[in-house]
Amino acid sequence: MTDFPAGTSWRVMLRSLFIQGSWNYETLIGTGFAFSLLPVLRYLHADDDPALREALARHAEIFNSHPYLANVAVGAVARLEAERVDPLVIVRFKSALRGSLGSLGDQLVWSAWRPAAALLGILLLLVGAVWWVAVGAFLLVYNALNCGLRVWGWRIGTTAGMNVGRAIREAPFQSLTLRATEIGSLLAGACVAFATPAAVNDPWAAGVNGAAVALGIWLGLRTRRAMAFALGVVVVIGIVNGLSK
Amino acid sequence: MSIVLLRVDERLIHGQVVVGWGEYTHMEQIAVVDDEISASPWEQELYCLGVPANVNAVFATVEEAKQAVPGWRDDPLRVTVLLRDCQSLERLAADGTLEGLEVNLGGIHSAPGRERVLPYLFLSEADRTSLQRVAEAGVTVTARDLPASKPVPLSHLIAGCQ
Repeated sequence: MTDFPAGTSWRVMLRSLFIQGSWNYETLIGTGFAFSLLPVLRYLHADDDPALREALARHAEIFNSHPYLANVAVGAVARLEAERVDPLVIVRFKSALRGSLGSLGDQLVWSAWRPAAALLGILLLLVGAVWWVAVGAFLLVYNALNCGLRVWGWRIGTTAGMNVGRAIREAPFQSLTLRATEIGSLLAGACVAFATPAAVNDPWAAGVNGAAVALGIWLGLRTRRAMAFALGVVVVIGIVNGLSK
Repeated sequence: MSIVLLRVDERLIHGQVVVGWGEYTHMEQIAVVDDEISASPWEQELYCLGVPANVNAVFATVEEAKQAVPGWRDDPLRVTVLLRDCQSLERLAADGTLEGLEVNLGGIHSAPGRERVLPYLFLSEADRTSLQRVAEAGVTVTARDLPASKPVPLSHLIAGCQ
């Protein structure tokens, strides 16, 4: 494994938090990528200014990926640069990796984790928590994954280099995405239950309602027909309940 | 016909295609048509990392794809065909292989010689010539990054460059 000094790793980590800072349609997060990688390039080309400039320019070209997973690419490219791999191969490597990091991150973070974390915050509000507890819980849960992915990405990238594909395949992206979606559906169910005024008087009934909705959504994740059916049942129960009061 | 999406996108398999279009087309197979990547297993491995578990990915050269397109069009599987440049598309569309289909320009980025047409679309003179020929081969050419956006017709894309 190629080891970088701790100071270099820390600098990359901090800089990667700003990887979207110069987002634009021409290079997407390309300049952010170069900005994050710069401590590595400075370390590798400590006394060779022209080489540093040339390497920095190469990495300021177009790049895109999920921002939290970009460190996988930053780490792997850091290692390839340290091994003096042919720049043309590095360009092809980045092109092949960027889309995958984008779709893995989109599925895990935007489609599953963020809604689940937001629902947790909403549920806390509904059960009567103070606003800052709800907001704090959301931020804590959401950013645990954000920071975790960044640290993991840098580590796995610098360790695996060109073979980072295998390391990503061994990581539990699919199961983590599915679990987050399931927990999100449970939380959605609980939110529906606690959003009804009856919940205050009859927490047990609210709990049962919540479980039913959660089960419906959970089933819905598996088949779209079950989703439509579950929503239909919930609507009918809601109307019947409303009329009988 | 089961080519549910035919798209030119430099990023090939990525979030917009897998999540944005995937949820809209319910694709079951992705066919990447590219001579260079077809010959490069290590690149294929990286491109495949983001493919969802229920979707199958295949790689083909333009020549192989020409043979395969009639099969894809009748395939019970819902196929998404991805290319990364207009020149490969032109070669694939020649001889009317893609006649009657619609091609979606989803992401061609800034490069020397290319002019900005849309935020996600930069075209060179050669790209525009290729697209004209693709249209002449019976293919409807529009630009559209995501299913929710409005398709922009080829005439606008070409006019936009002047």
